[in-house]
Amino acid sequence: MSVLTIRDLQAGVKTDTGYKEILKQVNLTIKSGEIHAIMGPNGSGKSTLAYTLAGHPKYEVQAGTATIDDQDILSMTPDERSLAGLFLAMQYPVEIPGVSVSNFLRTAVTQHQGEAPKLREWVGTLNASMKRLKMDPKFAQRSLNDGFSGGEKKRAEILQLEMLKPKFVILDETDSGLDVDALRIVSEGVNRAHEENNCGILLITHYTRILKYIKPDFVHVFADGHIIKTGGPELADQLEDTGYDQYLPEGESESALA
Amino acid sequence: MSNLNMQTGSVVPKYDPQNPYAYPAFMPSSADSSRRSFHVDDFPVPTVKSEEWKYAPLEKMGSFFMPYDASGETAINIAYSDGSTLDDHVHLHRVTRQELEDDPDSSFIPVDRVSVLGWNAAPQLYKIIITGTLPSALVVTVTSASLSLDSLHLFFTIEKRSQANIIIQHHGQGRLSESIDIRVKDYSTASFAFIQQGDKESQYLCSQRLTVGENARLNHSVITLSGDIARIRMDADFSGANGYLNMLGVYFADHGEYFEHRPYIVHNYPSCTSRVIYKGALNGIDTKSAWVGNALILPQAVGTDSYELNRNLLLTSEAKAESEPQLEIECGDIVGAGHASSIGHFDQEQLYYMESRGIPENIAKKLIIRGFFKELFDEIGILDLGDQLLHIIDTRLEHEE
Ligand SMILES: Nc1ncnc2c1ncn2[C@@H]1O[C@H](COP(=O)(O)OP(=O)(O)OP(=O)(O)O)[C@@H](O)[C@H]1O
Ligand SMILES: [Mg+2]
Repeated sequence: MSVLTIRDLQAGVKTDTGYKEILKQVNLTIKSGEIHAIMGPNGSGKSTLAYTLAGHPKYEVQAGTATIDDQDILSMTPDERSLAGLFLAMQYPVEIPGVSVSNFLRTAVTQHQGEAPKLREWVGTLNASMKRLKMDPKFAQRSLNDGFSGGEKKRAEILQLEMLKPKFVILDETDSGLDVDALRIVSEGVNRAHEENNCGILLITHYTRILKYIKPDFVHVFADGHIIKTGGPELADQLEDTGYDQYLPEGESESALA
Repeated sequence: MSNLNMQTGSVVPKYDPQNPYAYPAFMPSSADSSRRSFHVDDFPVPTVKSEEWKYAPLEKMGSFFMPYDASGETAINIAYSDGSTLDDHVHLHRVTRQELEDDPDSSFIPVDRVSVLGWNAAPQLYKIIITGTLPSALVVTVTSASLSLDSLHLFFTIEKRSQANIIIQHHGQGRLSESIDIRVKDYSTASFAFIQQGDKESQYLCSQRLTVGENARLNHSVITLSGDIARIRMDADFSGANGYLNMLGVYFADHGEYFEHRPYIVHNYPSCTSRVIYKGALNGIDTKSAWVGNALILPQAVGTDSYELNRNLLLTSEAKAESEPQLEIECGDIVGAGHASSIGHFDQEQLYYMESRGIPENIAKKLIIRGFFKELFDEIGILDLGDQLLHIIDTRLEHEE
């Protein structure tokens, strides 16, 4: 049983024109096995929260803490955070030409396990996982994300999630751009990881349709850089009906809907 | 068109530097000025002001610019890659300069001072004739033994309707001026891979003449992996329509090394295609590379399709790459012509993505470098060679920190 604890997190992005504050006092606790959904308007800072936790070099922490059990993850390099059990399925996965999915993942798994998995077992595990995600076996030899369609990239993120078995998973709009079948396949992948490893999940989304497959224990409304309301699954349905207007300062609803 | 002179009813087109494509045939052409000659006096000693030599470390190369006696110490070995003995498909002749000058198949004429001096000095000149389909790749190993200057000329003729894979690898410690003449006759396919793996002090200056016949295909790869200096100039053209020239290049330079590649292609027949892709990575301090590519599309080369690309990955801030893709289009009716070039450091988003999966930065960098080259190695088209080269890169990356 592990706990991801975020306390009074204040962070922002380094831009060409200087530092820009985005996260204002984020507080959140996720225990193993819990599923938390975060919903909020465009530009409110959801991806910033995800990247800040996962150590993207563009984001800078001003104050606050984030820990997995007693480990301070904010002082770790991104690879150390991964080894500490954090996994971020990115909103826009990066293309890496010339590095095959198989080689990339085997290198990553080697770091996690401390030794290279035996080649035959490795190929078997990878193939089985790809089959469950309805990915063509040829993808293993293709360059990572290179020329993948939007949906294929999201599947490849879930494939990595299945192979790396993290303690905590952040899904940043993994459901965006997926057709109905892909949404189901990807959700099943997440649920499998959840069942098998009892991981805690932070699911960032704009749509309630994914919540029909992945059942959240908590739903948080995120606006203007922090969580402004927390409830159960019913909060998601409520948001779908009423939108975010009531949570936004006067005059900001236009840009939020853009 | 306002820039035309209207004179009593007849239109006299005039070259306008502001609008060179209006009348492509009036553009100044590199073909008009490029000199080819067997006389050393036709080529002055290169200086930093010489367009062709402006990037090269001339101070280290002086001995190549004055007449010399070649040592003749360079050893050449020719064998099939699978170990089988040479058969009827390969005819090897040691020839004289005069025989080559009289040979109608040879189109080699020196293009610069280094190549004419090399030609004059060459103690070893070979003609290698390939007929039919080679049973396995032909491997030509050129081994230098000492730093005294040597020179060598190799002339390959791929006869009509033949198929050949040929690997030419350079090893050892030496200073070598080499000229290479390749004629791929009509309806033939040849893949040539040149691999430079000289020792630390090796200097290698090479001038190539490539001729691609009607409906013929030449896959040409240059892989420059080590040596103090490696400079390879390639002059390619066609001897018939529908030729295909595919040129790939990879260079991986380290501390103090200088690598230069100059693929020049002249499209002189209709409906020919050329593809040039060169990628280099530069590591260490005082490391430098230069790439100058040119495609000249002559007025008669209707239906030409041409593309050139050079990408450079700088692994340190002390390494320097020069990249000059050029294009001269003198024909208005072509399929396409394009060029692109880039010089840059690691992509931070790529590094971060890999690190976020638990891969430490140094390993992520190695994977990216490996991937950068692997993309090209996969295209070489000579069985196993891509894998062998990747293995060389892997070994080198393992020893780097
Ligand atoms: N790298 C960056 N450079 C400049 N501004 C940035 C950068 N990253 C984020 N921002 C800004 O920070 C704010 C929050 O962005 P973020 O991506 O976290 O929003 P989000 O809640 O994930 O939005 P969406 O729902 O559209 O994905 C936005 O105003 C955005 O423009
Ligand atoms: Mg976002």
